[in-house]
Amino acid sequence: MQWKLLSPKKIVLPNGKEVLEKRSIQPILWLIILVLLFFSIRITGFSLEVLVNRIQEFFVILQQMIPPNWDYLSKLWQPLFDTIKMSLFGSVAGAIVALPIAILAATNITKNKGIAMVSKFILSLLRTMPTLIVALIATFIFGLGTMAGTVAIFLFTIAYVGKLLYEQIENANMEAYEAMHSMGLTTIQAFRYAILPQILPNYLSTSLFCFEGNVRYASILGYVGAGGIGLLLNESLGWRSYENVGMILLMLVCTVFLIETTSEYFRKKLM
Amino acid sequence: MIEFKEVEKRYPNGFLALNQINLQIEQGEFVAIIGLSGAGKSTLLRCINKMHDITEGTLCVNEVDVQQLKGKGIRDLRRNIGMIFQSFNLVTRVSVLKNVLVSFVPNMPVWRKILGIFTQEEKRLALMALDQVGILDKAYVRVDQLSGGQQQRVALARTLAQNPQIILADEPVASLDPVTAKQVMEDFKRINQELNMTIIINIHHVDLALAYATRVIGVRSGEIVFDGQASEITEETLAFIYNNTNQERGETEHAMEATITEENSIA
Repeated sequence: MQWKLLSPKKIVLPNGKEVLEKRSIQPILWLIILVLLFFSIRITGFSLEVLVNRIQEFFVILQQMIPPNWDYLSKLWQPLFDTIKMSLFGSVAGAIVALPIAILAATNITKNKGIAMVSKFILSLLRTMPTLIVALIATFIFGLGTMAGTVAIFLFTIAYVGKLLYEQIENANMEAYEAMHSMGLTTIQAFRYAILPQILPNYLSTSLFCFEGNVRYASILGYVGAGGIGLLLNESLGWRSYENVGMILLMLVCTVFLIETTSEYFRKKLM
Repeated sequence: MIEFKEVEKRYPNGFLALNQINLQIEQGEFVAIIGLSGAGKSTLLRCINKMHDITEGTLCVNEVDVQQLKGKGIRDLRRNIGMIFQSFNLVTRVSVLKNVLVSFVPNMPVWRKILGIFTQEEKRLALMALDQVGILDKAYVRVDQLSGGQQQRVALARTLAQNPQIILADEPVASLDPVTAKQVMEDFKRINQELNMTIIINIHHVDLALAYATRVIGVRSGEIVFDGQASEITEETLAFIYNNTNQERGETEHAMEATITEENSIA
């Protein structure tokens, strides 16, 4: 895009040759960004004044969290393990179920456009629903507890891994797949031996990455009664016992850090 | 034996890729198909194992009407026909041996198909196939570490492990250097003579075609314009096969487009 208003700049070389340089539209882009920024501040009601005046309250709460209530630790182990179990089981089951759905959604493997469309639609539908809402609905169906949280994480994992996986399948090299068809293999067999070796490292890496995120998600699912450590977090915040909140957050930070570091190590090995 | 009777292939966009093809290829022949890009060589080859469908006429492979086959029938037909591609079409991320072992997949029990476990006997057969093309020492090397010529030999070993009666080769040496191309052609010749497999090869290098094939078929604009011994070929016949005016050049480009869209829609 080039406006007529912005006449190109003329550069003359010593030997008399002329080169026309297109004017950069960067200043205009900056102007647009500034205008949009101005309107977004107005619309969201952001106020620097409130931010400056109230910011110390944050440190007040933070101060109350330190030192954390170490006695509370003994009560934390069980919900913490619940949280990890929820995310681990939900992630593994979700990643496994995501594979067949991703195959059905990949247009280069599934020749029936209708099936591929429906699979893609299901995946985007699952992705659109916030995990917290899914967990809330699941508590209505399966009752309060970790079961609801597991289902929510399971569904989110299908959506997330499924989407990335079908894109990888669609980008896979189809040459070996064609050759295997010519050797008399069925579509599923050809997929297993030609496409799967190509996508497997990525598939495992994506699933691990999803698991990392799921541990973080799982910790707040307790807010809607879907079990895990979030339940205690909600409770402690409600009672304003910030030293307990501090303990929970400390435990969460340690756990998430540990899991992320381990998962990152394995993901690097896979690549 | 492969028998074309008045075969016609019209692409969905209306382009006539094969017109009135009558052809008979006996078991054990070494046939080279020559012609311009887009003349219909690839289409002709791919109709034999039903990677493409014909629209008119009949095409029989070993007395079986290919057009009538469906599902399992097509896969059984393809088990008996090997195929070699210009770009080798191997799984580059896994070892040479694993690529060859895929040949045995259709005959394995389901649980082994899923887990990808192969028996000692299957491994021995795959290694023997690799030995036949002289790359036994590369069995446990990943395919992406091999040169083009070595990769084409892996593809050839994969086909040999299938133990087919017919090998279709679609431009097998087009992406190889002249020396390697010759070596691969030698392999084809040896397989043809020792194992009596029918070999049908699409090739751009006329000199290689004449040097190795016993029979040469010239295709021009979807029609067979020459069919005879390699020794019968003269400069005039070559000029006739490759003769094209500007108008025909336009047509060949269409044919290429048609081939590409068809390739994307198969399988």
